[in-house]
This record gives sequence, structure tokens and C-alpha cells, in this order.
Amino acid sequence: MKQSQDPFEAAFVEQEESPPESPAAANDNETQNVDTPVNDANQPEDELGLDATVDNNVASTSATPSASARIAQTNNKNKEDDEDEEEDNMEVELGKLPSSGDPDKMAVMQTILSRFTEEQMSRYESFRRSGFQKSNMKRLLVSITGSQKISIPMTIVVSGIAKMFVGELVETAKLVMAERKDSGPIRPCHIRESYRRMKLEGKVPKRSVPRLFR
Amino acid sequence: MSGGGIAGSSKQKIEPSKPADAPSFKRKRGVFQKDLQHMMYGYGDDQNPLPESVALVEDIVVEYVTDLVHKAQDVASKRGKLLTEDFLFLIRKDLPKLNRATELLAMNEELKQARKAFDMDEEKLATVD
Repeated sequence: MKQSQDPFEAAFVEQEESPPESPAAANDNETQNVDTPVNDANQPEDELGLDATVDNNVASTSATPSASARIAQTNNKNKEDDEDEEEDNMEVELGKLPSSGDPDKMAVMQTILSRFTEEQMSRYESFRRSGFQKSNMKRLLVSITGSQKISIPMTIVVSGIAKMFVGELVETAKLVMAERKDSGPIRPCHIRESYRRMKLEGKVPKRSVPRLFR
Repeated sequence: MSGGGIAGSSKQKIEPSKPADAPSFKRKRGVFQKDLQHMMYGYGDDQNPLPESVALVEDIVVEYVTDLVHKAQDVASKRGKLLTEDFLFLIRKDLPKLNRATELLAMNEELKQARKAFDMDEEKLATVD
């Protein structure tokens, strides 16, 4: 296995050597209906992220150690990996990284992560741990709907969707920056251009009634 | 100008002629500022994103969520209550988001089950002692 600077390239090389198993099982789990909660191999990748939203605390991992130990016993899947992660800091992510129950995917992720530079690791950590505060999101949803009945799962789903939307926005903005050969932090003009492009691609829901007099 | 506190992280949006007895629809700025800073860094921005960019992204996100919720309400109006499934229906075409949402919901269920089991075990321990 050749030593490569790019962690993704290295992982790609390793993947070629051991072709992944049939993804059918993993796909079935992913597309499963919400009504029947998935209780087996659909390993969550972002346990830290969800826990941040559930526990309202982005900066730190907040599960109590005793809870983790208990949960590890009662739950005989890889879930114990998730709970262990919560107590420790980022270093543990290198060791146990759950992902859709696919061992090959996990192995690939581990290879990639092990080759991250410090800067890459810090960015990845921010990516995983960041999320919208549940309380703020709930307040926003209540103010939009005008009703008080916002369930927790709804907050979680909307937060997740919004985070991915931010991701698309920022990534497109980086693309715009590269095209304009700009550098440094992203500026509002890049974001505006990125938003405009996303609207053209139809990734932004169109208002049925145009918003006047903001 | 209504309460323009600069030290705090939230500033009141200037609402001209808004009566005090109206329900609080004023939107404070910078509600998601801290979260967004981390998020933007995670997705590729600088370690310290520009405050203007963060504010703009926040506006865009709030508008996105608002539109999403309004559309979900339209979908749910026939049934009556707003449900999580309405959101899933809206993003059905966007596969990464849909998969992510179902993944989050499944994880939430797992956590709930685990916590319930943990509580039951705790009770058993308490009674034994």
C-alpha cells in the first residue's frame, strides 16, 4: 500500500483491494419507512451530532458514564460504540466510528480518519458536532406555525435538514469562490451567488406567495 | 429603536409600528450565530467566518425553514395536524436529506429505547437494594 498524502486517496486504494460487500442490506435499512423504527443494522454515523441536538449542547459530549455503561449492556449491537464515544473526546472517533452497519464502510472511514491532518480533523470534528440548538429551533418552529405542538422528532428532522442545507450553501459558495479565484473567509457576495444558483437548480423551496415588506 | 443591546448576542429587529400586545413575532438576530459559525467551518469556510456571512446564512436558513414549514402545513392541512411525515414527504426527492432524516429518526428511537431500558434496570437495582 503506497503512502499517499491524501487520506481519501489512500482509502480508495485500500477499497480497491477489498471490494465492498453488496450494499443491498444497508440500502434497505436506509430507505426503510419511518413508521417502523429501524432497530438493527442502520448504524448512525452522526451519533455525536444527534446527541448534541438531543442534549442541547454542541460543545461537549454529554451522556453520563453510568448511562453509557448501562446502555452498552442492554443494547447488544455496535451501539455501545456510540455511547462510549460520547464520554471521550475526539480521539475516540478514530477508533470506533459507526456507519450504517457496513463493516467495509467503517473500515474505509477509519482509514480516512487515521490519515487526517490536524486541520482536517478539527474541521471534521466541527462538521460532526455542529448543529442547531434544539431549543432555538423549536422556538423558531413554534413562531412559524403559530401552534405549540412541535414534537421533538420534528425538531430533530428540521435541524438535520437545515444543517444539510447550510452544507450545500457553503459548499456551493466555496465553488463560487474558486471560480472567482478569491481566497479567505467566505463573503456575503459568494453566499448570495451560491443561493442564486441553488434557486435555479430548484434546491430551495419556492415561495407560493412572494414575501413583501420584510 | 427598541432595545438595541450590542453586548448580547441578540439584537432586536427594528419593527416599525408594532404594537406591544402583538404575539412575539420579532425575530432576534444571531439566534443561530454560534452554531452557524461551527457549522460553516465544518463545511469548508474559514475558522472564523465573517459575521456578515453568518448573518446572511442565518437569514437564508430561517427563510428556508419558514418556507419548508409552510409547505408542510399545506400538505398537512388535509389531515389536520402537522406531522413529521409531512417534512419527509417534502424532501422525498432529495435523497441525501431524506436518508439523513430517516437516519436521525431511527437513532432517536434507538436512544429512547435504550433510555427506557436503562431506567427499568435502574428501578430493578433500586428495589433489590
